[in-house]
Amino acid sequence: MFKLRAFRTLMVVSLFVSGSLFSVTARFASPANAQGACPTAKDHYKIGFANLTDSVDFTKAVEAGMKSAAAKVGNIELVVANNNLDGATALNNAENFVAQGVDGVVEFQTDEKFGNVIMNLFQGQTPAIPVIAIDIPMPGATFFGANNYKAGRMAGEAGGDYANKNWGGKVDYILVLELPQSGPIPAARMQGQVEGIQAKLKTKVADDHIIRLDSKNTQDVAFKAVSDALPKIPADANIIAVEINDDTAQGTAAALEAGKRSAHAIVVGQGAVESGLTEMLKPNSLYLGATAYFPERYGDKIIPAMLDLLNCKAVPPAIYVDHVFVTKENICQVIPDSKACATIKGAGGAATPAATAAATAAK
Amino acid sequence: MLPETVSRPAQSSALKINPTVALLAAFVVMCLLFGLLAPTFLSLDNVVTIASTLAVVGISAIGMTLVLITGGVDLSVGSVAALTGVVTSLLWPSALPIGLAAVVGLFSGLVVGLFNGLVITRLRISPLITTLATYSAVRGIAFVISGSQDNQLGDANFQFLGRGNILGIPFSLILMLALYLFFFIVLRYTRFGRNLFAIGGSPDAARLGGININGHLLVVYGLCGLLSALSGLVSASQLAAGRPQAAFGLEFAVIAAVVLGGTSLAGGKGTLLGTLIGVILLRTLDNGLIQLNVSSFYQDVARGVVLLVTVGIDQLRLKLENSDKK
Repeated sequence: MFKLRAFRTLMVVSLFVSGSLFSVTARFASPANAQGACPTAKDHYKIGFANLTDSVDFTKAVEAGMKSAAAKVGNIELVVANNNLDGATALNNAENFVAQGVDGVVEFQTDEKFGNVIMNLFQGQTPAIPVIAIDIPMPGATFFGANNYKAGRMAGEAGGDYANKNWGGKVDYILVLELPQSGPIPAARMQGQVEGIQAKLKTKVADDHIIRLDSKNTQDVAFKAVSDALPKIPADANIIAVEINDDTAQGTAAALEAGKRSAHAIVVGQGAVESGLTEMLKPNSLYLGATAYFPERYGDKIIPAMLDLLNCKAVPPAIYVDHVFVTKENICQVIPDSKACATIKGAGGAATPAATAAATAAK
Repeated sequence: MLPETVSRPAQSSALKINPTVALLAAFVVMCLLFGLLAPTFLSLDNVVTIASTLAVVGISAIGMTLVLITGGVDLSVGSVAALTGVVTSLLWPSALPIGLAAVVGLFSGLVVGLFNGLVITRLRISPLITTLATYSAVRGIAFVISGSQDNQLGDANFQFLGRGNILGIPFSLILMLALYLFFFIVLRYTRFGRNLFAIGGSPDAARLGGININGHLLVVYGLCGLLSALSGLVSASQLAAGRPQAAFGLEFAVIAAVVLGGTSLAGGKGTLLGTLIGVILLRTLDNGLIQLNVSSFYQDVARGVVLLVTVGIDQLRLKLENSDKK
């Protein structure tokens, strides 16, 4: 009798202890506990993407790439906003993102002054909202974007190589079509181009022959500024123009053509967007090439990085684009899905002078 | 016959210098100064460069002068210029030859101008609001129909418009000067021109005098649209492309040049000769500062200061004249 009672008591205690242990173990193993360790981890995410603007080729390509990458992953709802090139609008969008309960944010905004305010807003949430900043760094955010100096250097070196091959290494003037109001990052891009040219030349271009012009980021202003600068430069001087983007490259090329400098000038630039590629394909184009930033591929790197951040995995503080210098000879290898490549293929394949003439005629 | 500047009071004893002559003198002094400081400024190459890049602002400024004389304003000129280039580049060469494509481009500018005029006269919405709306909407249309893409305009005949020259004189300059001459005659020697000053000076008096104000305003805004479209064609020809982003901020450059030339924002006063000098002065200022390697930030400051000082002096002169009369 005593043994039976002792056995029953032992069984009850064992069951109670086992149950407690199971319950504790189960609790530790549950998703709720996983969130406790990584408070932002979830099965499904809402990610805010505030684009710089929706009216520029480059940013439109970034947005399309982001949407495509989010759709591929499958468990992401991408909420898109337009910062409209304005810091105050970016702050409004950030507040809307918080109100909508986004889990992570990808910010593409141009105003450095608003970076702190926007980051304070996201980091003040519980849990803090992880942020990836495109092209313009924001304090505390993971940076994604161009390696501006490297991208510039690639273009500059291509210009220097051209000069060595065609002008016996003699470059008399460098025109720098820059954007001074945008701060140090675009400046690094321009500096890289100038230093890239100089690194390739035996005789460096004198400092007073490096003419810096404010392009205001537009073709029209670049055209006027280069037109105004050309009378200072002797007619037979060899000129390399380096550019902030494809737009200014086209304005510069037009001014050099109009100023009858085609025989002694080339242009290298940044971007390699469709309009730039088209310019390269023009017969006797002065636009030698441009460093590509592949905005359409930004999403393929940003979305996985954001998922890593949300799952508390280690992400490097800066993730850079893999740049390639694009010329009319390698358009189809580097950007096979571009209209320019289709034009080349439609005109018979290689970008020979005849092919480029046909390409332009076919627009 | 009314003089071109009907509402300008008699010259005061304090300041007898004609403002247009004063502006011209300021221009000459500026040129001499730049010539002394920048060795290439007075070179033939540089003069041709300045001359060949005047037309985009200069042609639009004719339309803006007419509009400002009537007491209105047109903020849509840059957007119209962009739309014209885009329309032309979309039609050439697949749909139309370059000449016809350019005519359709010009027509699109005329349509926007007439639309502005109709809204202002029929719906009684102020010119500022109306053209602010079309400034935004027309630029948007240019982006939509172009798919935000640039389109090449590589036709050699078309490029002559912006880059060609006759006996070394830029064709765009010849075209611009011909238009200035034509509209100078219109303003000075036709009833239509004199009526514009009357409308701008006192719309009520003009109405009582039997002037068809709505009809005149419709024509003026239509002309402003058409001239802006022509500016857009010159710009597209120089850049060999039709671009929805083109001529961004053109309206401000144009208004600055026109006001600098002595046209009153209040209406009823203005001269095309003044506008022409204003256009040349601002363009020369830009060129000279680049020749001197002046930082672009100081270039912006210099433009603002020149505008403020010139208009300020003109206002002071008017005040002195009025006090003399009293």
